[in-house]
Amino acid sequence: MNFFDKVFEQRSRQLAQRSSRRGLLKGLGAMLVGGASIPLLPVARAAGAEGAGRPVEEGDPSSCDYWRYCAIDGFLCDCCGGSANTCPPGTEMSPVTWIGTCHNPADGRNYVISYNDCCGKSSCGACLCMRDEGDRPVYRPDKTNDLNWCLGTSSVTYHCSTAIVVGVAFDD
Amino acid sequence: MVRLLLLPVLLWSAAALAASDDSGRVVFDYQMNCQGCHTPDGAGAGSVPAMQGHVGVFLQSQAGREYLVRVPGSATSALSDERLAAVLNWIVYEFAGDSLQSPFTPYTAAEVAPLRKHPLNEVDDYRQHVLRAIAGADARE
Ligand code: HEC
Repeated sequence: MNFFDKVFEQRSRQLAQRSSRRGLLKGLGAMLVGGASIPLLPVARAAGAEGAGRPVEEGDPSSCDYWRYCAIDGFLCDCCGGSANTCPPGTEMSPVTWIGTCHNPADGRNYVISYNDCCGKSSCGACLCMRDEGDRPVYRPDKTNDLNWCLGTSSVTYHCSTAIVVGVAFDD
Repeated sequence: MVRLLLLPVLLWSAAALAASDDSGRVVFDYQMNCQGCHTPDGAGAGSVPAMQGHVGVFLQSQAGREYLVRVPGSATSALSDERLAAVLNWIVYEFAGDSLQSPFTPYTAAEVAPLRKHPLNEVDDYRQHVLRAIAGADARE
């Protein structure tokens, strides 16, 4: 017998001893109704949240109009020997990055996208994509210019940009 | 019976979800406003200092506590006072680790509001000054 079975068996025996059978059934009925209606909401939300971590994927990651590129500004790694998630061989992913949110038309949700640059080889040159939709964080004006997004990597040479889904946007 | 047995599980998950709802907002605020520079685990890179395993050191002095709010990344962020306080608390809980040496009193909107009106200009100097004072106090103990 598992834990809940045990607890419930004990509980219903105690109840049965203390109350009439009809009273017990009434109590159980109330619990069933309550149990069925109240927690449905969070469970439905749990199911939603689980699916939300993994976006429904549609579209071509080598095309500038791919949904994740809504706030990108650079060469698409997918055209440079890498992918929307990975750097091409011989380059290194920058830990310091742009963050934005993009709307995924395939599942109707907004996701947090991290545009990590790949560094260490000269500019890839293929699939230049500049879309400045979507919000970007407000950066300190005095830091913007000297914040090279290839900082934190061994080479500061910019090669291309990825677009990695890092979370679900929290809607107000 | 199956339904009945599920009840405690469901109630438990409801409580767990209510908690994760709040943290969902905080994580999102951190991701959108801070993570680009501070990286997902607070390790930082280049000129962005590591908060991972270090940020708690600042909480050993009042000047250091204020520094965490007045540093431009915090002070000039687009977050409301309330949400900035929540993000700072999350940073401390999530990243401070062993660097937090005494019980932490969470930041509140009321504490953060006046401090962030005075963002630091000479951040590096001020940071050094704060850390030296804390190290000095430690040495005297
Ligand atoms: C544009 C990049 C950038 C963003 C965005 C950013 N920071 Fe920072 N942060 C820095 C840099 C660089 C420093 C080092 C001090 C300085 O030069 O401002 C720093 C320092 C800090 C420190 C002090 C850590 C230390 O060891 O000195 C805290 C706390 C902090 N930031 C919090 C935040 C919070 C909270 C956010 C988001 C609301 C944020 N930062 C957003 C770049 C950034």
